[in-house]
Amino acid sequence: MVKDPNIILKSLSNISTIPTLPSVLEKINRLLNNPQTSAEEIGKVITTDQALAAKVLKLVNSAFYGFPGKIGTITHAVVILGFTTIKNIILTASIFDVFTKKTSHGFSFDLEKFWLHSIACGAASQCIAKHIGFNEKEECFVAGLIHDVGKIILCNYLSSEFELVLDNIKKKNCLFYESEKEILGLTHEQIGGIITEKWNLPKNLQDAVKKHHSIFQNAEFPTTAGIVHAADILVRAMDYGNGGDNKLPQMSQIVWKNLGLESLDLIAVLEDINEEVEKANVFMQLI
Amino acid sequence: MKKISIDNIKDNMVLAKDIIGTSGSVLLAKGTVLNASIGKRLKNWGVLFVTVEGEDEDIKSKGENVLSPEEVRKNLEEKFADVISNEIMKKIFSAVYKFKIKHNI
Repeated sequence: MVKDPNIILKSLSNISTIPTLPSVLEKINRLLNNPQTSAEEIGKVITTDQALAAKVLKLVNSAFYGFPGKIGTITHAVVILGFTTIKNIILTASIFDVFTKKTSHGFSFDLEKFWLHSIACGAASQCIAKHIGFNEKEECFVAGLIHDVGKIILCNYLSSEFELVLDNIKKKNCLFYESEKEILGLTHEQIGGIITEKWNLPKNLQDAVKKHHSIFQNAEFPTTAGIVHAADILVRAMDYGNGGDNKLPQMSQIVWKNLGLESLDLIAVLEDINEEVEKANVFMQLI
Repeated sequence: MKKISIDNIKDNMVLAKDIIGTSGSVLLAKGTVLNASIGKRLKNWGVLFVTVEGEDEDIKSKGENVLSPEEVRKNLEEKFADVISNEIMKKIFSAVYKFKIKHNI
């Protein structure tokens, strides 16, 4: 019973309740693009959203950022961590804000495990970036964190379709996206793509959401998406959390080669991922 | 040396490994004697596990969550069933297997 994918996509783009990111994020992006902006100005804008400010302070004071319990004000945080890190923290905190509102649904999707998988994928993406010498490590963390955002949209806004996808996985023990293709004719990559476009996220983050399973036929793939593709497979194999299925997708040979993963000491990478995932567990407290 | 959840920290346990933040700074040094209030602070920092001195015996004797190497292999084989003919996936399988055995997970 394949539904018409166009109808699903259309109905999604018409849902007016699909969450928007807080407007403060846009203001901050604008400020950060101006080289004249001071840390104080950024601090002021963030503190206009008290809930967000509290989350930012909680994160910057966690072991993940390495200044535990020492940063008292947002301005201080901006000075110490720098604009790029702050921007990523705010984006992360906002995404958690938007998506972790407890939704009540009867089916067997473990949201806590889902977020654990997402956080672990973020940490692993950051590790891989570090090991292959890719500069945008923090962006890789955010990209890994949100790569499966389409599943959450499906869960929250198309719950009957979501339930069919889950039932099908149970029956066939297949991959999540295989089940989606069969039941819906499209996958969480396309669904997540709609929202990342709506949010106007940077292109590398959009790529990671839209292409982490499906771009790797030719050599020209976006690096961030390739990293998230690899990270997803590693954390699935290591059993951190669960994204809704219990199988592994195949690692793209092109990604493996072109990112230089074949020359890495894989065990050392896994050890590193393990340590980073532990530190990143602070994000679970945001849920 | 054993890895424990910070909820299981007891007074006078000795930290066997530095706790390091992402920036590379040491949050708490190896050799620190732990107590409940340090445990609480670690929790606030988002640390979930610490490695302390001593034998791993209580984990092993209870048999909690510790799989035998055969069980670990079997679970992995199930997960890798559709992709194990691929050379890259074989490498990943073997690395993850070694990792899991070493960490008892």
